[in-house]
Amino acid sequence: MALEDVPFSGRSGRGLPHEGDQADGSGSPPGIPLPAGDERLPCGRPLSWVWELARDATEADPHTVGCPYCRQAVEGLTALDRATRAMRAEERPAGQTLAERVMRAVRDEVRLGRMLPLDDPSLDLRIAETIAANVLRRAADSVPGARAISCRPAPGDDGTTVHVTMTLALAPDQPLPDRAALVRKAVLRAADRTLGLAVTNVDLEVVALLEPIRPGDAGRRSGQTAAGDGEER
Amino acid sequence: MRKPAAPLSRQSSDDRHDAPAVGSTGSAEALTDVADRLLALRAGEGDDEAFAVLVHRHSASLLALSRHLLGNSADAEDAVQEAFLSAWRRLPEFRHSAAFRTWMYRIVTNRCFNILRGRPPVVPLETVPEPAAPDMGSAPARVTETDATISALVTALRGLSAEQRACWVLRELHGLHYDEIAQVMNTSQQTVRGRLFRARRSLTEAMEPWR
Repeated sequence: MALEDVPFSGRSGRGLPHEGDQADGSGSPPGIPLPAGDERLPCGRPLSWVWELARDATEADPHTVGCPYCRQAVEGLTALDRATRAMRAEERPAGQTLAERVMRAVRDEVRLGRMLPLDDPSLDLRIAETIAANVLRRAADSVPGARAISCRPAPGDDGTTVHVTMTLALAPDQPLPDRAALVRKAVLRAADRTLGLAVTNVDLEVVALLEPIRPGDAGRRSGQTAAGDGEER
Repeated sequence: MRKPAAPLSRQSSDDRHDAPAVGSTGSAEALTDVADRLLALRAGEGDDEAFAVLVHRHSASLLALSRHLLGNSADAEDAVQEAFLSAWRRLPEFRHSAAFRTWMYRIVTNRCFNILRGRPPVVPLETVPEPAAPDMGSAPARVTETDATISALVTALRGLSAEQRACWVLRELHGLHYDEIAQVMNTSQQTVRGRLFRARRSLTEAMEPWR
């Protein structure tokens, strides 16, 4: 893997503080103190800045190209760069086994939340909110192009019924109300048949659209960008 | 509660939105196309399957981070496991002011710092045995120049302070922005820049013989 393959922030110039200050092609970034241990090259530029430019700038800096001191400073990075590239190209450790171990530990930590009444004439049977919410989310997920996000079942005033508030992410390939109606149906059916909850109403709110995932994004070896960069911003 | 099969026309559609959901009965598979932010909200309400997707999505890069910071794979796995458990417990209060990934990087980095603080002081560099190149696969046991370069860099990284090493690893191996590193390390971007510079300076000197 070459340095260029890594989707560095700096390549877009965003990581660089002094881009607007290069007009004169030399000098130091105004208003920013030199880091401890830094030094000024004979051309006046701080070494730290020359290195940042070399690593982060999107295009070649004209001053660096023409300045023997800056060029020499950048060449000083060569051996480190080569080793860094090699290290970056190393196989990432497999996270699978660890992930499974983590999830066993997580599932041992029961988180129940409050209790909800089941539709039971004797009013004795109750179910934990978290468990009920999980079943209702799965029901919503079973509708193609729909994913549940938040699901809050709450007991009604009469102590026997339940009110469900759910937020959704839906694919935008068909009218949202149609798909939401399918979700409501699936949630009501699961509440009734799987859990035995008397759900009086299901409030649905669409809070996100499901965007197509670029092929190879999820679970990519360098998982660092799959989830973070693509969809989050 | 299995849904009736969708009409054939939909199943044969190559619309990737639908692909994971067709025939789904609510397994974590169905959630692999959902963004971190939404999964974290869902996990915060106690949905362990949503959390499982996040764990599978991020465990490899967090394990790599923790190995680079600790240089010991048993400690590294423990650090990541504890970090995920801590995240699971704290998710209900997570205010989503940072991305989930940045938040996890922060928890793992803190764990690693705590482990390092509990370790005996670092022995002088010269007495550190040459580290084995990690996970070099099943290639014949022949020390290539690349392996040797990596070993030299690993050794040089051990000579840095934990903070400098973390800044360098987050920037150079994980590609984080300066502002993200500042969030992870709970410090200013200016401090991050200073640490990164001093890390580069030490590493450059240590790698000088390899030019």
